[in-house]
Amino acid sequence: MRGFDLAKPLSIGVMIAIMLPLVLLPLASIFIFGTSNGLDNFWKALMAPEAIFALKLSIVTSFWATVFNVIFGLFAAYVLSKYNFWGRNAIIVTISLPTAIPTAVAGFALLLLWGPYGLLGRLIEPHGVHIMFTAWAIILANIFVTFPLAFGVIKPVFDTMNQSLEEASATMGATRWQTFWHVTLPGLRGAIVTGALLTFARAIGEFGSTILVSGNLASRTQTAPLYIFAKFNEGQVEAANAIAIVLALFSFVIFSILFFARDWLEVD
Amino acid sequence: MLKKLSILLTTAILLSACLPSPPDRSASKTITVYGFSIMKEALEKDIYPAFKAKWKSEHNEDIEFVSSFAGSETVTNQILQGAPADIAILSIERDADRLVQGNAANANWHSLPANGIVNKTPFIILVRAGNPKGIHDFADLGKPGIKIIHPDPASSGGAQWSILAIYGSQLKKSEAESGNKDTVRATNTLKAIWKNVISSPGSAREARTQFELGQGDALITYELEGLMMKQAGAQIEMIVPPATILSEHPAVLIDRNVTDAKRPVVEAFLNYLWSDEAQQAFVKNHFRSATNDSFNDANKEFAQIQQPFTAEYFGGWGKAYPEIIDAIFLKQVQAK
Repeated sequence: MRGFDLAKPLSIGVMIAIMLPLVLLPLASIFIFGTSNGLDNFWKALMAPEAIFALKLSIVTSFWATVFNVIFGLFAAYVLSKYNFWGRNAIIVTISLPTAIPTAVAGFALLLLWGPYGLLGRLIEPHGVHIMFTAWAIILANIFVTFPLAFGVIKPVFDTMNQSLEEASATMGATRWQTFWHVTLPGLRGAIVTGALLTFARAIGEFGSTILVSGNLASRTQTAPLYIFAKFNEGQVEAANAIAIVLALFSFVIFSILFFARDWLEVD
Repeated sequence: MLKKLSILLTTAILLSACLPSPPDRSASKTITVYGFSIMKEALEKDIYPAFKAKWKSEHNEDIEFVSSFAGSETVTNQILQGAPADIAILSIERDADRLVQGNAANANWHSLPANGIVNKTPFIILVRAGNPKGIHDFADLGKPGIKIIHPDPASSGGAQWSILAIYGSQLKKSEAESGNKDTVRATNTLKAIWKNVISSPGSAREARTQFELGQGDALITYELEGLMMKQAGAQIEMIVPPATILSEHPAVLIDRNVTDAKRPVVEAFLNYLWSDEAQQAFVKNHFRSATNDSFNDANKEFAQIQQPFTAEYFGGWGKAYPEIIDAIFLKQVQAK
């Protein structure tokens, strides 16, 4: 007969005790602070037109950055796992670079390129084309900082994919596109969804690069994280918290999907 | 499986179609104002609505304001990098001059009324209720064991005013005592105070938020910040140093960004800032008037300053920045 295994509750307890001050309580205090003046005030803060705009802008810009990075990640993973060429490794390393570059650097790198005195900005600004301090700048910043995420998820799956299936498809007379659409893509389903959700989750919380390139104009170019920062700076901690709660719930939903939808995505 | 994938794709496309497209910024009669951190309330509560109503009655045209607020140096850098401001209201003249040097603003901003200054306010010390640390003047902030919140002069104009306030107050004091401006004493006071700084946020408003959240024993800031906090019922006391600086805030037109179509309304708004109506609205929001001192009588909360001085005491910003902020603060106090 087995006795009571003390190690189980003990180790679970220790794990939660460690998580408590590091992750759980900080998150809890956002919820407590955000709702401390009653749900009415929380709702009011959330329904402020500037807040709603900021959330929408974040969703839109993150969405387009995700679309771009998933398609590019898929394409790059395809090229890089299919062909061997000189400089291949250099490209793989370069795609991964944004992970370790401080987001503020990403922001001013974009300014240095597209700003009025930038390499390309200098050429386009005289024609009245402005990219920095518009929603485009936010999308570019989001693309930059989330660049490696979808690629990083999709590439390993590509690498381990069964080549013989594709070859079989080709010998049966399928075109390259048919093979890709009917054979390759289905196998990447899970990786694509995971990559997209990770990219979206990361983009929607992006702050460091956006604050530099967006212009931070309320109801114009102010994303949700910038709104939070602005409200915090103005001393409206409650308004800041209301949106922070929304973003926290967003990521909660995204990662729940990642976790619970795994089976649905992997099994046909 | 393709079915599932196409469901996903369709959902994504439908979702994207429902979302609003990113807004464009070309809407014509919009005035974009970039302001230093503490301008927010006065502009949004009183100045914008009043000007909108005035313009509507005179021209039967609606105008819209959009604005962004941050530390004065931050705002200036954003505009230099191309942020679409029509008007900038800055904490310090140095930033107006940087905008001129960067070909963003017109060089003759001094020719606007009151030398281009829209309003002013003295620098004071905020402490916790009951003044538990016994702070009565700037020099007291250098005592051991006092925790100070002080904005970062790299991004905040208010931080630079505060440094000038501390430094100038010591010069004034030594002048009264010995007839000489004792720059060594003033530098040492700055050093002692900076040692006690536990946090240096990006703007005066950010510093206030930290102080409001319970950080620190003292905060050097604009008088209006203290008055606003008191109005909101904060448990604080305002300490008015015997000698302190009056900060003077310039407004400039960002020539580079103002289109011909918009210029009349932008210029009208800029000039409106010096109208009696706007100046009185500033006083209501705890700024002191730049055009007419008698307007200040309307605000009973304003402190009496025994020995006020301005940047002129140091020979203007053209000297104050290189000689005090740069040569003394950045090179001797902060760098050590």
